[in-house]
Amino acid sequence: MPDDSGPYGMWIALLAVVGFVCVIGMIWGELTNHRLWGGAFTGILLLAYSFILLFLRKGGFTGV
Amino acid sequence: MYKRLLQRLLGWTLSLDDRINRVYPQDFNPLYYTGGLSNLFLTILVLSGIFLFLYYVPSFNEAYTSLQYISGVGPFAVTGVPYGQIIRGIHRYSADGFIIVILLHFFRNWFTERFRFSRDEPWISGMMLLLFAGFIGVTGYVLVWDQRSALLVTMTGRTLETIPVVGGALQSALFGGPGLTNLLLPRVLYLHVGPATFLYVLLWWHYVRIRHPKVWPPAVWTLFSLGAILLCASLIPAVSQPPASPLAPSSRLAVDWFFLFPYLGLKYLTPAWLVLIATVIVVYGLYIPYQLPETRAEMGIRDSGVAQVIDANCTGCELCYYDCPYDAIIMAPSPHPGVTRAAQARKLLAIVLESRCVECGICIGACPFEALELPRFLEKDIQAEVLEACRT
Amino acid sequence: MPDVNTPPPAAAGPGAAAGGRRPRIIGFLCDWAVSAEGIVGDDGTMRDLPNVSLIKVPCSGFMRPAWLEFALRNGADGVFVCGCPLGDCFNRLGNNLIRDRVVQMRRRLERQKVQPDRVTTIFYGLHDQAEFVRAVREFSEHVAALPAPAPARPRPPAAAGTPAKPAAAGEGQAAPGAAAGSGVPPAPGAAAGGGAKGSGGSS
Repeated sequence: MPDDSGPYGMWIALLAVVGFVCVIGMIWGELTNHRLWGGAFTGILLLAYSFILLFLRKGGFTGV
Repeated sequence: MYKRLLQRLLGWTLSLDDRINRVYPQDFNPLYYTGGLSNLFLTILVLSGIFLFLYYVPSFNEAYTSLQYISGVGPFAVTGVPYGQIIRGIHRYSADGFIIVILLHFFRNWFTERFRFSRDEPWISGMMLLLFAGFIGVTGYVLVWDQRSALLVTMTGRTLETIPVVGGALQSALFGGPGLTNLLLPRVLYLHVGPATFLYVLLWWHYVRIRHPKVWPPAVWTLFSLGAILLCASLIPAVSQPPASPLAPSSRLAVDWFFLFPYLGLKYLTPAWLVLIATVIVVYGLYIPYQLPETRAEMGIRDSGVAQVIDANCTGCELCYYDCPYDAIIMAPSPHPGVTRAAQARKLLAIVLESRCVECGICIGACPFEALELPRFLEKDIQAEVLEACRT
Repeated sequence: MPDVNTPPPAAAGPGAAAGGRRPRIIGFLCDWAVSAEGIVGDDGTMRDLPNVSLIKVPCSGFMRPAWLEFALRNGADGVFVCGCPLGDCFNRLGNNLIRDRVVQMRRRLERQKVQPDRVTTIFYGLHDQAEFVRAVREFSEHVAALPAPAPARPRPPAAAGTPAKPAAAGEGQAAPGAAAGSGVPPAPGAAAGGGAKGSGGSS
């Protein structure tokens, strides 16, 4: 694996934590009928997921 | 002079590519997938649009309230459609995103000259797609039937009237009669959904000369786009302006820059001028692929001659057929056997459709039997150049 | 095609780069990829790297792998094809196609005991001249460090250009498709059935 897998790995872990928080936020938004908050958390989760995929490739974990 | 301008624009386009390639791996560069991104946004629009269509009522009295019902606002704060507000926001913001990526696609393919030879068909169909997309967006804003919608109808009517001969008929056709009638909203609803469906016919035309079109962006960008749209829809909920009231028409237009900027032009120009400028722009856009000359002198090495099949050698292996990026080769049942041994046993013969060939030579690279040549780049010329280079 | 033996480098062995002649490199440059303006002289060689000759082609996908082999067999120590950046081929698929073809060709070269590193594909866009020159220089140095190729096997002179005669198959003795080449002598009818049987067994 290339040498910059370290910092990328850290970012991926961070984004995964953010994603987890978002999931909790989505569930909270759903339960309290704050549907727009639920939508916002879903949006942030998807954005975080897209960056996780990008960093997986840049850190050499996936890809050609 | 145009050529120099195009060169400069090409330089900016490619240096933008470079900057993005430093951040994103090349196969994630969104500028290489502008077509796929457009398709993504169109899909989101269609799906969210179907949802909205199920609840929308196209009548003067009920259109506005049906949207309130969908969005769960006003009298329907508790009883509104679940998630209706978010999906309405998704529909609105993915429409804006749609226009952004279509324009990226348009400018990129213009500045990199990807309209040469038979690639003018994707270009012309693409212009049609752009115009239809703009039209569909405007009708979408009319469907809401708030003050903005009423203003749009009035302004469109005034503009259409200035078109000589057909203006009045166009206005009747679009609105179901002069002024506001009961036929307006059902007709505009049809003019929203019908052309949206017709977009897929235009897309068929757009893809028809292209093999393996990239119709979907990489996952990174699908997720990013969805996330961005959802975030916008949640943070900036899509709302209607105050309801349309014919008795007290508004004079201020809340402009969505992506679709309604021509109407902004009406503030400064008379309708006749607007129509004229719009026509000139559209006609020029359709003319772009034909503007640059394609003579031998201009194109040089890029005008290598239409690929020629060497009948004697073709074995019907279909490798060229599968590799041609523009579907310019077809395999026909062989009318007579070839000359070489392998060609004698052939069932199929490759035929190059000259109108579709862009003279790239990819088929020559695919052929293992020396059965294809570019007239101005023969194999013996290449070999002579190689031998020459080896001698120096 | 004339069958010329690749001349061995001036100094034997892998140390040919140090003090030996520089490897002759031929590059095929797609006309839509990196611009050669300013880095190429009138005779087609690069100004900074005089051992590298550039030949312009309409698209990187136009290149037949057979031509790359032709270059290797006729005096080139290394060949490369330069196309547009991956994902941005002007003709959409050309650079991906040439990459796939060269990958396949390298495996074939390896089976034929030719160093596959002598052939490569690189991808640079219009304004990436500096990176392009750097990549070519690296390739040139890499080829220089490769061990000398094995001298070509001696071939019987009749093998060049003589097609396998159908008559041999007609006699029902030669194995089907026993074509001339790769050191197998052709089987004209007069070469006797024994010869034909032998060639059928070895091919």
